[in-house]
This record gives sequence, structure tokens and C-alpha cells, in this order.
Amino acid sequence: MKELDLLKKDWKKREADFPKLSYNEIYKLIHKKSSSIVKWIFIICIAEFIFWTGLNFLIPESYLDIYEQFHLKTFLYVTQGIHYVILFVFLILFYKNFKAISVIDSTNLLMRKIIKTRKTVNYYVYYNIALYAILSLALNAIMFSNPETLVEVMSMENSNVNSKTFLNVLLFVQIVTFIIMCGFLWLYYRIIYGILLKKLSSNYKELENLNV
Amino acid sequence: MNKDLEHKFIDEFQKNQNIVHKVCRIYTNNQDAHNDLFQEITIQLWKAYPKFRGDSKLSTWMYRIGLNTAITLYRKSKRTIQTQDFESVLHKIEATDYDPTEEEQLKLMYEAIHQLSDIEKALIFLYLEEKNYKEIAETLGISEVNARVKINRIKTRLKAILNP
Repeated sequence: MKELDLLKKDWKKREADFPKLSYNEIYKLIHKKSSSIVKWIFIICIAEFIFWTGLNFLIPESYLDIYEQFHLKTFLYVTQGIHYVILFVFLILFYKNFKAISVIDSTNLLMRKIIKTRKTVNYYVYYNIALYAILSLALNAIMFSNPETLVEVMSMENSNVNSKTFLNVLLFVQIVTFIIMCGFLWLYYRIIYGILLKKLSSNYKELENLNV
Repeated sequence: MNKDLEHKFIDEFQKNQNIVHKVCRIYTNNQDAHNDLFQEITIQLWKAYPKFRGDSKLSTWMYRIGLNTAITLYRKSKRTIQTQDFESVLHKIEATDYDPTEEEQLKLMYEAIHQLSDIEKALIFLYLEEKNYKEIAETLGISEVNARVKINRIKTRLKAILNP
């Protein structure tokens, strides 16, 4: 096809128009900071590990005293122990997957490795959400099945609020908090995927479709 | 990283810098975006350089990292400024019904290339660089047959734009 030959010829001819960077200009360039998505994914993943692990430390000591009254302290310590082992396994997996990302791989393989690394952290987040959901469900079930202890623990017996109203409000507040948390999480992942991974995912899909 | 390696890299890069310019030209459509992508590819090449063993040609390696950076690692949205889509280009030709000169044909083809997807751009770029299907397939991680089929489809599309 003569048009394509024309294009090829012109493509070559235009090489002469490119600026030639000097030694010093290149030296300056290689000392600038990269803004690649791999770097951003790394930063975001580390932040997520810190956030989800840090949540544990936000629970005030007085809360543990409350659980103590329900004889749940040992249960919580054991859960926490297991949680740290799981966190460690996730960190190792993340590190291994991240290290495997290589810009010299084929485009297809490179994208697959980036997605795999990102998925490791997603699984960690899912695991955390599941853990928090199950734990709070279990704790609430135990606490609300012993309303006397709950009212006593919350030192409500001297207050003039009706204990039944108090329990209802407590339950309501918990449900609302849960819904708001879910909303924030949804928004967060929309932003992360929208900004960072949309292009990568669509390019990956296109390559995969080529291979079908 | 040591100074010798840095010196060697800059020397070799200087000789082959056109490859990076060409990747930038196909993926960007203004000078700022071009410079931005050029910088990112150069950084990625330098970061990967200590692992370069010399078992493949440096240029092959530069094509691969250049394209990987443009398609996968680079995220700026500046480069996706839309110019004209296929339909409007086709429409223009039909409406004016003139005999396009070489210059105009080239303009139309470049415009059409800028409308292609990132993956299609990579295919047409490697084709313009006269890489064989085996190398194209290996660079992108697809089969040789699929690379051939897809490139032929793009060629047909380009042809259709010029000969409506």
C-alpha cells in the first residue's frame, strides 16, 4: 500500500527534527523524580497497611475494660495475635509481588504483575473489613444479649435515661456509623481505581482480548 | 549508583535518544506532554540500566521500556487531548471531495494514529519502526499471529480513511 510506504518514509524523515539532548541535559533528567504509577501504588499500598493496622491502636484502653466485663478480653487478645500473623503474611506477599514488577518484561506481563501487586493489598483490605464486620457483629450480639451488664457497664443505672431507649440509640448509632464507613470506603476505592488504574485496566483488557 | 555506569548510560542514551523521542511523538500531541513523557522514560531506562546485561541490543531494550512506560507506567492525562475522531475525518473528505495531496494524506494518517488506543499505537509504532512480527509479539506479550492480524486491521482502517 503506497500510502503506508509514504507514512513510513515520512516517519523516518521526521527523525531529523528531534532535538538532540546534550550530556548535561540527560544527566539532569536522570536525577529527577519518577512519577510512575508503580511508585504511587507502592505509596498507597504502604499507607493502607499502616491505616488498617493503625486502627487497632485507636481502640482506647477503657474499651478493653468494657470487654473484660463480658469476659471477652482473652478472646480479643488471641484474635489480635492471629491478626498480626496474617498481616505479616500479607506484607511478605506484597513485597514479593512488588519486587517482581520489572519494566523490562513484556507489556502484558508487566501489567499483570502490577495488577497482582495491587490485588494483594485489596485482599488485605477486604480481610480487614470482614474482620471488623464479624468482630463487631459478634461483640454486639454478645453485649446486647446481656442488656443488664451493658447498661451497668455504661454506668447508665443512675442516669435518668430509660435503659431501653439507651440501648436502641446505641444500636442505631452503630448502624449509622457502619453505613457511613462503607460509603467512605466505596468512595475511596472509586477514586483509587478511577485515577490510578483505569488506564492500566483498560489497556490490559484490550491486550487480553487480542490474545483470545 | 556509580559514576562509571552513569557515564556509560548517558553516552549510550545520547546515541539512541531518537527512539525515546519517537515513542513520545506517537503517544503525545503537544510539546509539554512530549517532554514530560520523555523525562519519565529516561528515568525508567536509567533505573533499569544496572540490570541490562547486553544479551539483547540496547535499542530493543529501549523500545520495550519506552512503550511500557507510555502504556503502563505513565499516568498524566495531558496526552489524551482529543483532536478529531475517525468519523469526522471521514466526513470531511466526503464533504469536500478533493484529491488529497501527499501532505494532506500524511496529515490525515497522523491524525488517525493519534486516535488509536494505546495498544494500537504500540503496534503501529513498531510496524513503522520495521520490527518483525516476532519482535512486536514479544514486546507486547501477545502471539505473533494476533500481532499480525491486529496490524493488518489497523492498516485497513488507515486505508479506509484515505480512500473512503
